[in-house]
Amino acid sequence: MKAEWPDSCRDWRQLLGAFVLGDLPTEERAGLEAHLEGCPACRTEAESLDAVARLLPLADPDRFSRPAPQAPRELGKRIAATIDGERRANHRRRRRRFGLALGGAAAAAAAAAVLVLAILPGDGGGVPEQHVEFAALPAGIKIGATLEPHAYGTAIRVYVKGVRSGTLCRVYLRGPHGERVPAGTFRYRWGEDSTATLSSALDLSRTRAIGIRAGNRTFVAPVDPAGPTANRNSNQEEAT
Amino acid sequence: MPPGALSRERDVREAYAAHSGELYGFALRSLGDSGLAEEAVQETFVRAWRAGDRFDPQIGSLRTWLFAILRNVVIDLGRARAARPTVAEGGIEPTVEPLEETLLAWQVEEAMRRIGEDHRRVLVETHYRGRPYSEVAAELGVPEGTVKSRVYYGLRALRVVLEEMGYEG
Repeated sequence: MKAEWPDSCRDWRQLLGAFVLGDLPTEERAGLEAHLEGCPACRTEAESLDAVARLLPLADPDRFSRPAPQAPRELGKRIAATIDGERRANHRRRRRRFGLALGGAAAAAAAAAVLVLAILPGDGGGVPEQHVEFAALPAGIKIGATLEPHAYGTAIRVYVKGVRSGTLCRVYLRGPHGERVPAGTFRYRWGEDSTATLSSALDLSRTRAIGIRAGNRTFVAPVDPAGPTANRNSNQEEAT
Repeated sequence: MPPGALSRERDVREAYAAHSGELYGFALRSLGDSGLAEEAVQETFVRAWRAGDRFDPQIGSLRTWLFAILRNVVIDLGRARAARPTVAEGGIEPTVEPLEETLLAWQVEEAMRRIGEDHRRVLVETHYRGRPYSEVAAELGVPEGTVKSRVYYGLRALRVVLEEMGYEG
């Protein structure tokens, strides 16, 4: 590093670190303070380093001695999938709006077909898109989900109604061996758009159930990879 | 990056590649739970994509904008967690520091990781462990004056890294 101060200051400057940390022996400190009195450049440097030294107690050496934590590799894919799912949903919504704006029975019928979401072909898998209705829910609560196959996994649109506004909802898919694969979270807001667009890395063809933890209650509905049958008859609330 | 460019998915991917490590590190430092930290980073990028049209590089860098979004997400997640009587992953209690202080602490820790090993070591031994400079010098096999100059250059290096990270003093 090339020095940017006069040679006469060099030795004094190299003491500035210990000085601002309060570690300099009395004699050296007195000498340095005398130099600082007459050297504005060194004084400015000391003040700047003092500001850095004051931050040191905030840091925990046990933390910075370890390597920086790394975001899991699949997080980026999950984000891309969520954004892709939301973009597709927005696109459909715009198309639906456009269709309704046209008016007439044909447009209304097209919109209704989008809302049914029963066995529409997916974009990237051998299984069809599925609509899952959660049954046996407490009075006033409605939960539904649409699962759509993609090359990256499964896009999920979840509809919730009747839980307390502000409730944090965590969604996961369950695989063939009972493993849970997270699909993200959303917050239910009363009066707002209550359909959340999420995604999971688990393929729809391997998905056996979808679970939603809303507040402190978890609701699970089975998913039949072969098609949208039997989804209404056996879902359960899991103890949490 | 022109205004609104983050509304394209490709740019979100590039932004993720450039900034997700730091964002995740700060989220984990703030929330003390890897699952919540992942949620926070995911929500940050989704919000950034939704609001991509509003990003203006004339006002601030993409990194600064993403950190501002993450800060709000962390506050939301922190509030949600405060409403639940749970203990974070691995039994580690979440941090109780104010968020601004946590951000600063994370920046200093990250900066300490980035400075040279020689500089970090003398700062750890003399400042954090409180060991005499003479003892550290003997252990390293260098004159005591060298330990002092390494402390000086260590603080200077830390200042440079903090400035690169957006710290303005």
